[in-house]
Amino acid sequence: MNQQHIVRAAAALATALLATAAQAQVAGTLSVRIGATHIAPQVRSGDLSAPSFPGTRVDVGSASALTGGLNYMLTDNWAIDVPIGLPFKHSFYGDGAIAGVGKVGETKVLPATVFAQYRFGEANANFRPYLGLGVTYAKFFKERTTATLNALSGGTPANPTTADIDDRFGLTPQIGFVYNFNERWFVDAAYYKSFLKTRTHLSSGQSIPIRLNPNVLAVGIGYRF
Amino acid sequence: MKPRMQWAARAAVASAVAALLSACGGGGSDTSTAVSVNSVRVMGDSLADSGTFGFKATVQGSAPTGPGSTPIWPERVATTYGQTLCPHYTSNGTSFSVNATCTNYAVAGGRINNFTAPASPVSITRQIQDAGTAGYNGSELVLIDGGGNDAADLIGAYLRVPRDGGAAYRAVLSTVLDAATVNAAFAAGATGLAQVGGRYMQTLAGQFATTIKTHTLDKGAKRVAIVNMPGITLTPRFRAVLASVAAASGAPAAAQAEAVFDGWVQAFNTQLASNVTGDSRIVIADLYSSFKDQATNPAQYQLTNVTTAACPVTGVGSDGLPTYTFPTCTAAALSAATPPTGATGGTNWWQTYGFADGFHPTPYGHQLVGQLVSRALAQAGWL
Repeated sequence: MNQQHIVRAAAALATALLATAAQAQVAGTLSVRIGATHIAPQVRSGDLSAPSFPGTRVDVGSASALTGGLNYMLTDNWAIDVPIGLPFKHSFYGDGAIAGVGKVGETKVLPATVFAQYRFGEANANFRPYLGLGVTYAKFFKERTTATLNALSGGTPANPTTADIDDRFGLTPQIGFVYNFNERWFVDAAYYKSFLKTRTHLSSGQSIPIRLNPNVLAVGIGYRF
Repeated sequence: MKPRMQWAARAAVASAVAALLSACGGGGSDTSTAVSVNSVRVMGDSLADSGTFGFKATVQGSAPTGPGSTPIWPERVATTYGQTLCPHYTSNGTSFSVNATCTNYAVAGGRINNFTAPASPVSITRQIQDAGTAGYNGSELVLIDGGGNDAADLIGAYLRVPRDGGAAYRAVLSTVLDAATVNAAFAAGATGLAQVGGRYMQTLAGQFATTIKTHTLDKGAKRVAIVNMPGITLTPRFRAVLASVAAASGAPAAAQAEAVFDGWVQAFNTQLASNVTGDSRIVIADLYSSFKDQATNPAQYQLTNVTTAACPVTGVGSDGLPTYTFPTCTAAALSAATPPTGATGGTNWWQTYGFADGFHPTPYGHQLVGQLVSRALAQAGWL
């Protein structure tokens, strides 16, 4: 995303704010949006399987990314919503028996979600809160371990211990709202929670179950076609 | 509206392309460490010896020392930092020579209080002094272990009390404690004799900490990891000693002896920890606790045997205990041998054993010690 685009988006937004027109979120409306999403995992880690220090656990850090989404109104109230965006990069830290060792790895994740949303209020209302329920497929990739993980698992720089995180489905309930500036431009903000469990496998043979259940905050500026 | 629509479409396409591009490459492992270590210096006993006598005190690899040899715990730690180790002192069987470019000062049989030959490299105190004389610039990682052989000396002398009237025990105690303390202990009978051993180990730990501070920290070292003393009563050798105590004097006597010896080890570790606490340049890797956990909870560490030695017995010592010969106890020989009854893993049966001989860990045991030390280093922010 280059600066020129952002400047033009801001200018367009300002112009749009001044304009007056009828708002519409009627059936058949397609909209796009761009913004940012913050994912804060609420981690409950299991214990790393043997061989390991008893009670070896991990914590997972938060991550933000540039995101957007597509929304299609099936009826005046029901919508299909698909967030899209850049991958999130989460760091993993030692916990439990290895608390305090610092970062043990990182991963990128693309949480692909499809939401069904019910939007309250009239199709032309300025403010429309909504509830959604989504199915999320969390695709983990570029898992990268650290020297610390190697040293704790018998790996070496020449033969490092690597990690692989299972891709998993999860249910994602959502609550949010759309505020229309005019018939074209709007802001969309949502909170959702993904119920997501996965398992990380180490090349040294162990695995660890992790419940991520992230809290997600997403906000975007949208344009309606 | 038309230009704005175009922008929105372009933005959507741009972010989709960016998402696809960022999905390529990466992964694997970032093996760089949090701090840069230019040299790893090691002082200690057989657990840390890279081959002073031409072999290592564990199951031998395809070579007894150097490339192909079994990596012992300090070598595993050094590898993490991209460093290698070789023995600073080498022995031809009668005398030691020095290889100044090699930074592993540890010598098998090393004692903090090597009272029979205090100036020998077998003295860990001497090793620490020599390493200090070479000077530190602050970029080194210093790894030190010790105390196990000191405790073994003391226990051996204590067990001879019924036979020699305490002469050997008194001699060992007197190398660290003053005459009044030793005399008072002997006057106090059995309880006094047991307690003074703890006093000895405690005083020894204090001297050890002082030696490390004077010759390591005060010389400029900024990162020192000390491995504390494992509970040696859990080694096959001491299990055999305690079994012979039980045979001679009954199970309660053996249990009591075990408690006394374990108390001595703990006295050493507690004093050592207390003397270095609060100094951010020193960390202690708690081998005592980890070793005890491995003995009581072997499956957690994927150990299948923590009570018998993997290497074959090759003789009987003057103390009646079995002896082993490390140079002939190779990985190839063990894999070629018929696995002991109950052992699993086929030709790899010995790889999940905890002990190579009666006192020393297997290569896997060394890996576990290395992981323990690495945890302490990482918690200090050095990994």
